[in-house]
Amino acid sequence: MSTAEAKKELAKEFSGVKYILTSGMRSKLLLAIYDGPKNLDELRNELKKPSATILHGLKELETINLIRKVQKYYELTSNGFLLTTNMVKLIENWYAINKNKLFWNSHDLDGIPDDVLKDVYLLKDAEYVASTTSDLSNAFNTYIKLISKAKKLKIIFPIYSENHFKHLIKLLNGKKLKKLELIVSEEILNSIEENEMLKKELVNNKKVKIECVERKLKVFLTYSEDFMALTLFFKDGHYDDSQILIAKDKNAIKWAKILDNTYKK
Amino acid sequence: MDTSNNIDNDIKFLAKSEIRLKILNELDKHPDNVRGLVKKTNIAYSSVSSNIGKLENHNYITKVENKYYINPMTQVYYKTLMDFKNSVELVNDYDSFWNKHNLNQLSITSIKRITDLKNSELIETTPIDIYKTHNTIKNQIMNSKNIKAIFPYLHPEYPNLIEGILKNNGTVELIVPKSIFKELLFRVNDNVRRKALRYKKLKVYSFKNDLNLYLTICDENMSLGLFKNDGSFDQNRVLVSNDEQSHEWAEELFNHIKKQVKE
Repeated sequence: MSTAEAKKELAKEFSGVKYILTSGMRSKLLLAIYDGPKNLDELRNELKKPSATILHGLKELETINLIRKVQKYYELTSNGFLLTTNMVKLIENWYAINKNKLFWNSHDLDGIPDDVLKDVYLLKDAEYVASTTSDLSNAFNTYIKLISKAKKLKIIFPIYSENHFKHLIKLLNGKKLKKLELIVSEEILNSIEENEMLKKELVNNKKVKIECVERKLKVFLTYSEDFMALTLFFKDGHYDDSQILIAKDKNAIKWAKILDNTYKK
Repeated sequence: MDTSNNIDNDIKFLAKSEIRLKILNELDKHPDNVRGLVKKTNIAYSSVSSNIGKLENHNYITKVENKYYINPMTQVYYKTLMDFKNSVELVNDYDSFWNKHNLNQLSITSIKRITDLKNSELIETTPIDIYKTHNTIKNQIMNSKNIKAIFPYLHPEYPNLIEGILKNNGTVELIVPKSIFKELLFRVNDNVRRKALRYKKLKVYSFKNDLNLYLTICDENMSLGLFKNDGSFDQNRVLVSNDEQSHEWAEELFNHIKKQVKE
């Protein structure tokens, strides 16, 4: 295949997406109408553009059957509704990542399957907490405080950390925590079982259920009914305990469940 | 909002150039140098190299020693953009299925996950096989141990099909509009019905309002049917899929409607 052919092929493949996403006018119109049918006056006020520009954009969208005019109001067609809902998702996905740029950009995301990354918009209300030079264990302490109130915890546990185990055992011996579900790799499970104390307090504890998976784990995910927390590894393979992503809203917990489910299979 | 403007610009920057997207596609798989990328993409050296420069300047990729690496965030940008592309394609590929049809009862989550239906097949009736859609679903039901379904209307064959599953000791979970609820139940053999209800093998939920959605979830397949904007059911088209993703998609939608029954 020649360069020209390759380029042409590519242009064809992406033409649909390009048409929508690269015109500010077309995408803005779709988003404005997504909120509800609007007439020309309302669109002009909202987008602050002259009628001619807006009418031109509307005409283009009408031609490709994304909007239609009913009496004086423009509304989305079913195709337009499907497409705009997914455009909103795309924007929310980018927003969610962008909001916690430092967290996402410094870690290895290979432990999060593509299918789960596509729903990262569910984390748009998440915040990240980082340790600072004056408080090296800020992230860890925030985590411990967070789990201390949970009745039920599910954790994908990719590391062997006695510090974490110590706190979990303390919670298990307390009154609040009724159930702890761990997903670990074989390697980690073996290490836990070699330690008599951990074997007794975790493996043989009725409140604890441990599931062992074959693959190497690259995410540290904790969630309960009220929160989710995520820590990751650096690209070089080292675990990063200095940055933690935390959220307490329903969507984020839903995301955690989706991620958890992919590890169970 | 400032961030949304930035995002707009970021999206535009990547979406504008197929070459940049192609480069990211390759770098997402393996880090590489310009020469390697030229070989993989068939795009001229000068274009690859100038676009690599732009991507590096905008912090989408990083050069380490001789190779370019995609940044983690860019991976998410790229994958979500491709997901959007797939959704556009899915809408276009099954245009006759979606166009001029009522989507009001689809959940927003199901629409956001519409690419889960990417391996679907659109079954359409033909002049010589006008029952193709019905027969396709009928076969699925007859070969299924269990079924979950949203039936917006009562087809005369449904009671028999339901009876068949129950006699085979399978489970049936249905959501139907109030208007057909009694009729449907009464047409299933008395003994079979009572026994199944008692052992919770049969659950039927009555939906207060009209249902604008047709959905079946069998062991192997899911099928989706829609109503036209004029209010009539489109008997001529049904979207059928048999992979795991579509199955989960259908379950989500089924539960979404089921929640409304209970409210």
